[in-house]
Amino acid sequence: MHNARNLLALAMIIVLTLVGARPSQAQEGLVIYSEYPSIVVGIGETLNLDVTVRVPESGIVALDVSDLLDGWTAEYRGGGRVIRSIYVEKDEPARLQLRLIQPERIAAGTYRFQLVARWGETTTTFPIELIVQEKTPAKLTLQTDFPVARGGSETTFSFNATLKNEGGEDIFATLSADAPREFKVTLRAAGKDITNLPTEIKANASQRIDISAEPLTSLPVGSYPITILAQSETAETSLVLTAEVLGQPQLTLTTPDGRLSGDAYIGETTPIKLVLRNTGNSPAFGVRLSASSPTGWQVTFQPEEVTEVPANSEVEVKANLKPADRAVAGDYIVTFRAQPKEGGSKSVDFRITVRTSTLWGVVGIALIAVALAIVGLAVVRFGRR
Amino acid sequence: MLKLLDSWRRPTEREGSPWIGLGAVLFKEMADHLTGARMRILELLIVITAVGTVYTALQNLNRNNSEFLYLRLFTTAQDPLPSFVGFLGFLVPLIAIALAFDAVNSEFNRRTLSRILAQPVYRDAFLFGKFLSCLLTLAIVFAAIWLLIFGLGIVSLGVPPTAEETGRALLFLIATVFYGGIWISLALLFSILFRSPATAALAAIAVWLFFTVFWNIVAGLLLPVFAPQQVTNLLDLIAVWELQLALERISPIRLFAEIAVILLRPAERSLGIILPIQLDRALLGAPLPLDQSLLLIWPHLTSLIAATFLLFAVGYVIFQRQEIRA
Repeated sequence: MHNARNLLALAMIIVLTLVGARPSQAQEGLVIYSEYPSIVVGIGETLNLDVTVRVPESGIVALDVSDLLDGWTAEYRGGGRVIRSIYVEKDEPARLQLRLIQPERIAAGTYRFQLVARWGETTTTFPIELIVQEKTPAKLTLQTDFPVARGGSETTFSFNATLKNEGGEDIFATLSADAPREFKVTLRAAGKDITNLPTEIKANASQRIDISAEPLTSLPVGSYPITILAQSETAETSLVLTAEVLGQPQLTLTTPDGRLSGDAYIGETTPIKLVLRNTGNSPAFGVRLSASSPTGWQVTFQPEEVTEVPANSEVEVKANLKPADRAVAGDYIVTFRAQPKEGGSKSVDFRITVRTSTLWGVVGIALIAVALAIVGLAVVRFGRR
Repeated sequence: MLKLLDSWRRPTEREGSPWIGLGAVLFKEMADHLTGARMRILELLIVITAVGTVYTALQNLNRNNSEFLYLRLFTTAQDPLPSFVGFLGFLVPLIAIALAFDAVNSEFNRRTLSRILAQPVYRDAFLFGKFLSCLLTLAIVFAAIWLLIFGLGIVSLGVPPTAEETGRALLFLIATVFYGGIWISLALLFSILFRSPATAALAAIAVWLFFTVFWNIVAGLLLPVFAPQQVTNLLDLIAVWELQLALERISPIRLFAEIAVILLRPAERSLGIILPIQLDRALLGAPLPLDQSLLLIWPHLTSLIAATFLLFAVGYVIFQRQEIRA
C-alpha cells in the first residue's frame, strides 16, 4: 500500500516534469501577456500598453523588459506609480500598464522586445512588436499668385497669400511681417487684423491672408521686399513679396503766396498767378488747365497747356479772369483745375470778390456838386440885403 | 461860365459876403433848439425808442454768430416792436419837420424878422443859419443815440465793435442825418411859403404821409403809363421791374430803407432784381466789403444829399424874393 502510493507520486512527478519541459505551457501557469502584441505607432508617440499577469499560486511577480534598444524607456505602472513587481493572487489576473517612451531620434521601422515576468524560479516572456511609422509632420506653406505689386510713392500695396497647414494636426501659427521701416504692414484674415497674433489653422486646411503695406512716408523709386513669416511651434515658412514703387508725378495747384482769394472788377480782366507744383518723383506731362467759373465769366489761361512740370519743381501759369457784365458785387467761387495726361486732376477753389467800378461814385459826387452849385448860383443871383 | 454868371446877375450888385452873421444866427438857433421844450419831448421820444428796441434786440440776438453783432442791434426786431431802423424810417421825418416847420414864419408872426435883418445879418445868413442849426441839432441828437446804442452794446455784449461795424454805423448815421436833411429843407420851404406855422406843419406832414402811404400806390398806377405795353420776354419783364423800382425810389423813405438794408446787412449784395444766372457759384451770405456796400447805395446817399441842397435852394430863392417888411 505504502509502496503503491510512492509509485503513484513518482509517476505524477514524471508526468509533471514532462509537461513542464514543454515551453510556455510548462512553467506552472505563470503568464504575462498583452492583448495586442503588434502595434503601429507614430514617431515620438508615447504608448501605454495594457499588460495582464496570471499566476498559478499567489505570489510576487517581478516585472522586466528585455531586448529593449538603447534610448527607449519602458516602465510598468500600477496604482499610478512606476512599479517593479506585482503581487498576483491565484486565479485572479493582475492588470497593469507598460509605458513606452520613444527615444528623441528614431527611424521608422519595426522594434521588438520582450515582456519578462519572474515568479520565484520560473520566468516567462512575451514578445511585443512595435511598428514605428513616420507620422505626417507639421508643415506650413505660404503661397501667392502675385508676389509683386506696383504703385506710386504713396499708394498702399495690397497682396494676398494662402497659408496652408499640410500637417496632420491643427496648429496655431503666428504671422508676422518683416518689411522696410517705411512700411506699416497689416495682415488680415477674414477681415480681422491678425498681425503678430496666433491664428488657428486646422489640419489640411488653408487660410487666405490679405496683406497691405502702407507707406509711412513718400517713398523713393525702388523695390522693397516684404517678408511674411508664419511660425508655429513645430513648423515655419516664409514668403517674400515685393512692393515696387514707380515714379509718379504729384501735382498741386496753388498760388505763389498760397492765397486763394482775390478781387476782380466787373468788365475788367484780372490776371491771377497760379503755380503748378510737382512734388512727385516723376515729371508730369501735358497738364491741361481749365476752370469752372460762374455763368458768363471768361477765364483763359496762359499757357492753356503746360507740356512738362519736372519732378520737384513748379511752373507758373497765368489765369485771366473776366467777370460777367451782369455779375453782382460780392464773393464767387471759381475752381481752377489741372489735368495731367496721366493721373488724376487737381483742383483749387478760388474765392473772387467781385467789385463794381467806382465810376458811378464820381457821378454821385458830381450830382452833389451840381446841387451845391445851384445853391451857389441862387445865392449869387438872388442874394440881397 | 463867368459870362453866364454875369448875364444872370442883377444890374444891382450885392454888397458883402452872404456868410456875415451866419455864426450868430446859427448859435442862437442851436441854443433855442437844444433848450426848448419841443426838443425835450423829441429827445425823450427817441431815447425811449432807442433803449427799448436795442434792449429787445439784445434779448433776441443770436450771439453764436459773432459777425456784425453791433449792426444787428439796429436791425433785430421783436414781434410787436419793430427794429430801431424801422422806427427811424418815420421818426426822422417827424423830428425834422418838428424842428423846421416854423423856422421862418414864426419870425414873421412875432415880427422879429425885420429886427434881425436890421442887424449886420444878411438874409442868406439868416436862412443858412436856420437850416444848418436844424441839421446840426439833428446830427447831435442822432450821434448821441448812436453812442448810446454802442455803449449799451459794449456793456452787454462784452466785445468791442470792429472797424467795419463802426464804419458802417457811421455811414448810416450820415445817411440818417441827410434823410432828416430832406425833411428839414421841405419843412423850411413850407415855413417860407406859408405864413401860418400850422399850415406849414400840415403841409410837410401831408408830403410825408403821401410818400409813406400813397407813393407805392401812385407808382403802381404810373407803371402802365411808362412800361412797355406788351411784355413778351424776360428782358421786358426785367425792364418793367426796374422801372417799378425806379419809380418807388423817388420816395426818400424808400431810399433810406434801402440804405439801411445795405449798410446794416453786409451780406446783402444787390437791391435790384437778381437773376439766378448771376448767383451761379456765388458765395451767399459772405459779407460785402464796406466799399462795395457803399458803392451799392452811393446813388441813394448822393441823391439824399443833393435833394437836401436842391430843396434848400428852392426855399432860398423864394425867400430871397419875398417881401419881408411887414
